[in-house]
Amino acid sequence: MAWVTDFAPTTVELNACIDCGLCLPVCPTFGVTGDESASPRGRIAAMRAVDRRLVEVDERFAEVMGLCLQCRACEVACPSLVQFGRLMEGARAEVAAQLPDWRTVATRTVFGRAIASRSAVVLLSWVVGAVQRMHLASVLPGSAAKATALRTIPLPVPTTAGHEWLPEGEPIGTVGFLAGCVMDQWYSDVHTAVIQVLRTAGYRVVAPKNQTCCGALAAHEGAAYDAAKMAAQNVEAFDGFDLVVVDSAGCSAHMKGYGHWADGGDDLASRIIDANELIATLLDADLLPHIEGDTPIAVQDPCHLRHAQGIAEEPREILRAAGYSPVETDPAGTCCGAAGAYQLDHPEMSAILGMAKSTQVRATGLNLVASANPGCEMQLKAHLDSGTVVAHPIELYWDALRSR
Amino acid sequence: MTTLRTSTLRLFERLRDERADDDGRFVVAPASLDEAAALMTVAASEGLAVAFLGGGTHSNIGNPVTADLVVTTSNMASIIDWQPDDLTVVVGAGMTVDDLEATLAERRQTAVLPETAPGATIGGVIATGVSGYRRLRYGPTRDRVLRVEMATGYGKAITGGSLVVKSSTGYGVQRLVTGSLGSLGLIGTVALKLWSRPISTATVPVTDAAGALATAYRPLAVLETEDGARCYLGGTEEEVASQTAELASDGSAGLSWPEPIGEPIRLSVRVPPHDVGETVALIREMDPTRWIAQHGVGIVTVGFERLETDLFGDLRSWAVSRRGSTVVLDGAELIGDGVDPWGHAPAAIEIQRRIKVSFDPASICNPGILPGGL
Amino acid sequence: MHVANSCADAGRSGSEVFTLPHDRRGDDPGRYDVTMDPTVELIDLLGASRVHTHPVDRIIYAKDSGVTAGDPAVIVLPDTTEEVAAVVRIASRAGIPIVARGAGTGLAGGAVPAPGSIVIVLTRLNAIEEVDEIGRTAWVGPGVVNLDLSRALADRGLHFAPDPASQQSSTIGGNVGTNAGGPHCLAEGTTAAHILGVEMVTADGDVVIVGGEAPDEPGYDLRGLIVGSEGTLGIVTRVLVRLIQNPPDVVTMLLVFENIHQAAQTVSDIVATGLVPAALEMMDQPMIVAVENFMHAGLPTDAGAVLIAEVVGHPAGTVVEAALIEEIGRRNDAREIRTAADDDERALLWKGRKNAFGSIAQSAPDYYLSDTVVPRTRFVDVLDEIYAIAERDGLRLMNVFHAGDGNFHPLVTFDASEPGMSEKVINAAHDMVHAAVAAGGTLSGEHGIGLEKRDLMHLVFTPEDLDAQARIRDAFDPEGSLNPGKILPAGARLTEERDA
Repeated sequence: MAWVTDFAPTTVELNACIDCGLCLPVCPTFGVTGDESASPRGRIAAMRAVDRRLVEVDERFAEVMGLCLQCRACEVACPSLVQFGRLMEGARAEVAAQLPDWRTVATRTVFGRAIASRSAVVLLSWVVGAVQRMHLASVLPGSAAKATALRTIPLPVPTTAGHEWLPEGEPIGTVGFLAGCVMDQWYSDVHTAVIQVLRTAGYRVVAPKNQTCCGALAAHEGAAYDAAKMAAQNVEAFDGFDLVVVDSAGCSAHMKGYGHWADGGDDLASRIIDANELIATLLDADLLPHIEGDTPIAVQDPCHLRHAQGIAEEPREILRAAGYSPVETDPAGTCCGAAGAYQLDHPEMSAILGMAKSTQVRATGLNLVASANPGCEMQLKAHLDSGTVVAHPIELYWDALRSR
Repeated sequence: MTTLRTSTLRLFERLRDERADDDGRFVVAPASLDEAAALMTVAASEGLAVAFLGGGTHSNIGNPVTADLVVTTSNMASIIDWQPDDLTVVVGAGMTVDDLEATLAERRQTAVLPETAPGATIGGVIATGVSGYRRLRYGPTRDRVLRVEMATGYGKAITGGSLVVKSSTGYGVQRLVTGSLGSLGLIGTVALKLWSRPISTATVPVTDAAGALATAYRPLAVLETEDGARCYLGGTEEEVASQTAELASDGSAGLSWPEPIGEPIRLSVRVPPHDVGETVALIREMDPTRWIAQHGVGIVTVGFERLETDLFGDLRSWAVSRRGSTVVLDGAELIGDGVDPWGHAPAAIEIQRRIKVSFDPASICNPGILPGGL
Repeated sequence: MHVANSCADAGRSGSEVFTLPHDRRGDDPGRYDVTMDPTVELIDLLGASRVHTHPVDRIIYAKDSGVTAGDPAVIVLPDTTEEVAAVVRIASRAGIPIVARGAGTGLAGGAVPAPGSIVIVLTRLNAIEEVDEIGRTAWVGPGVVNLDLSRALADRGLHFAPDPASQQSSTIGGNVGTNAGGPHCLAEGTTAAHILGVEMVTADGDVVIVGGEAPDEPGYDLRGLIVGSEGTLGIVTRVLVRLIQNPPDVVTMLLVFENIHQAAQTVSDIVATGLVPAALEMMDQPMIVAVENFMHAGLPTDAGAVLIAEVVGHPAGTVVEAALIEEIGRRNDAREIRTAADDDERALLWKGRKNAFGSIAQSAPDYYLSDTVVPRTRFVDVLDEIYAIAERDGLRLMNVFHAGDGNFHPLVTFDASEPGMSEKVINAAHDMVHAAVAAGGTLSGEHGIGLEKRDLMHLVFTPEDLDAQARIRDAFDPEGSLNPGKILPAGARLTEERDA
């Protein structure tokens, strides 16, 4: 049957891979299993096999694709510049289309449909917020107990969409702002920090009301048609902004690849900037102050910043400007195992990687960790001692800035 | 010996080694690999045990062999192809180590062959697989054997390896043959990888051999004998001077190797390098006449006038307990009746036997010389 | 000759299944009529997650980094030597061939599985154990990645010398299998010189250790045979590696020339002085351009050739040696000589060299890579012939060489979708191998023979030579169950003479 969707990996895309195997050592799942079927090259071989009609998209194919964290570390290692993240999204779209009842159907529905609906996310947030206040997390089953690693959701749940913020003086420019889905309610402190820092630098920040979830989680889970719809909606919502600031690594990485997802996507993609990038640039331009200090802080790199966007120095620069001295934890920047819905679908692999990451953090002897992505933050908290504080670099910078 | 065919006798007569002593055996000196191969075919069909003779300097190694026919390499004793700029030389097995090294020295090159007794031949060195003191720096002799041409026990002339400094082309026949003590056939020519001789060398007495080994950057050798320890350095003049200073000692120019051990009983104790210190301590208690320990390599060569069978057994057990060996190079019969020069059969003996059988199906090449009856 | 990394559909898809040569033993596909399905036993042994039989897994494991695909029946991922031995015994009872595999970065098809075989993946045997700092050795699992080993030993001041371009991915077990090389094998020798012993599972499923920490083990040097045997003599489950002291000083230089002959003459002149640098690597102009476009290593794209020379050792020695190389370079009209100021600059120079093949992949959809060695002094002659062959056929050729060793990696970039192009490239590549062999060279310096050059073995070995090699193989593997169809061409065994 081969491929059935418009999102399928193409022969040309697949043939960009020359089977050199340089991606193997950077792939977290290959590192754990030593199994070619858990490596980028193996996954491409499987996609090629379907493309050549040698095998069907069946449960084993779905399993092989499903184990991928989509961390995109392989893209950095690849001398042939294979766009592996895009291939994997295509393969997952095929799994969703051809095996609609396969076991990721639940997460696919959540991230494909429910997440696009602000009211659904708000409702869920209310529930989780209430659970957190009743200290019921201990009775929750399995991975749901990770809710303890979540930040306490403010009640009533906030939202940024439909708001705008003005700087004190004449604005030096206007930026669009992605409210996002869960970020908006669950990590509103990060939103606040980013918006206030941008205001301080002199920007007018606008979060248009008609925007929606970026669609990254939907794309990762194979809900490609939903992801495409969300991308199209955002292309429209952010029309007219020269720069659109995104403060979640997974979202900024995904939106920079909008060219694959919507008409006009390339144009919006070229205007997307990760908050870390923008704020580091503003620091370089002395539009934001550097605050003295050298408090040591362990640094963890979100994959979708470091691997997908090549943003590694920027968060460190922001931390230094906030009065911290970054301490490296992992020269390879291996995925922490959070990977969005991955921790729900593959709790074992996620836990192995989470443990490995927490071991690296513990080796620094520090109980303060900077991570620029909510998923990573949750994963780190779940695997670190309760005394360890995990915070977003921009949050730390904002704290330092306002308490100056 | 059964009566030989006339054609066999004629062949032996034609190839007779004029230089060899007539001790009642046939001593022949083929001048080419094809002649050697023909000899092996004839010997196999006549069931004659064959021994190979180079300089005779290593002839006591291994289990004694009673040979009906001795094949010498004295007619294959010249440099065949020396390419100084390729750092390779092809040489007849019968050429002596001294002659080859003297020639190579004209272009300041060396094959890093061992410091052997006068008369030792290239073929003998390769067959015994013995390495010299500079092994610490340059690796064992086997690493420099690029290619061998040999006449097998089944009477064919074959080539193993390639005449280039780097090859991953087929099985390492040249590595198999190195150290096989003539049990697979006769080595006719050997191609060796060459090194330049260092511009400057020095022999530096040190008080602590293990310390010198840890301190010095890639010394040629660190040897310890009954007269103390020495570190041997090579390189540019500046390098040798600074390394000598770093060893906090004064050296003398050149490499003054210890006098060879000439005692009637000679042992080679082979242990992991980190066990050399302990092995030396053990050997000293045995009161040997001479000993030379190669630190960082793991070989202690020991000379005795006399050696109690029990003491020898203890030493051998010690080496075996370290997953090493104690090999009798000379004078096994002086230690005791039936002392096995090797000690024990090698690992993977079944595979070893099958190799022997496939290269020497009639079991005529130095039969039984190796451990395990190979 | 082998085709590496071609985009040819067949190779990529796993549909081009290699056929075994018919031969007296081992290589007759008829022997592998699998009457006994070992899958159940294997799952009992390893659990379902470490045994794959699904068609998609069989395709995933059908090939290495080369172009030919095989067709395994089962893939297993053992964790221990004992599990490997048990798998071998199960396979042996069922009469199924076995193919060992590491990271699958080989270019000669050594890990391409025979039809119906069991692939034993050794990546999980990846412990670095028993590092002996005095003896400078370590026992490591075959699944340890080459670069990981040297990184893990860095704080002890030691490293593993062979450094193939694949070193970030390739495993020690794979390095043993192919007798891998790399730039720094010029001074240190290839893998064979760095393996002191191996623990292996024999074709019968026995576990034996050959070689060891103690030098000169009596008996035949089986260790020396195992290295470079591409998994045909036994399954290596632990490796005793020799470690080299990290040099106190490293000087890395880039010498820039107007033409390739000046660079080649510089190499000859350096070697003629007796100096053996740690590495002497050369790239010609097309290669420089390709690398620079990708790596931005600061290479001069208008240069005819560049030479990377590295000397290591005691600082009092390196300074003299570097000056000597510089003088020789100037004498040969080097227009520029750069010395890396620090480790970062050094890393950048080497990154350009080590990613050379990857850079090529972007310049054309397909490439054809060879690995031959010639005597150093014939290097320039053979190079000219190689260029002439490419010009004759209108092919785009680029070269990166281990110049100090006389080891060529000529690389033709092309588009396989052009009609007749693949055949033309293969034909030219064969001519290049012939040119190397005619100059006294050999088929492979470091990639191995595998499948890709198996049928060219007769170019460098006589029937008697090949028969001798077959005898060795049969001594280890009388039933012919270990990686059948590799290294030796059909007819390598002179059967009638043996049976006589």
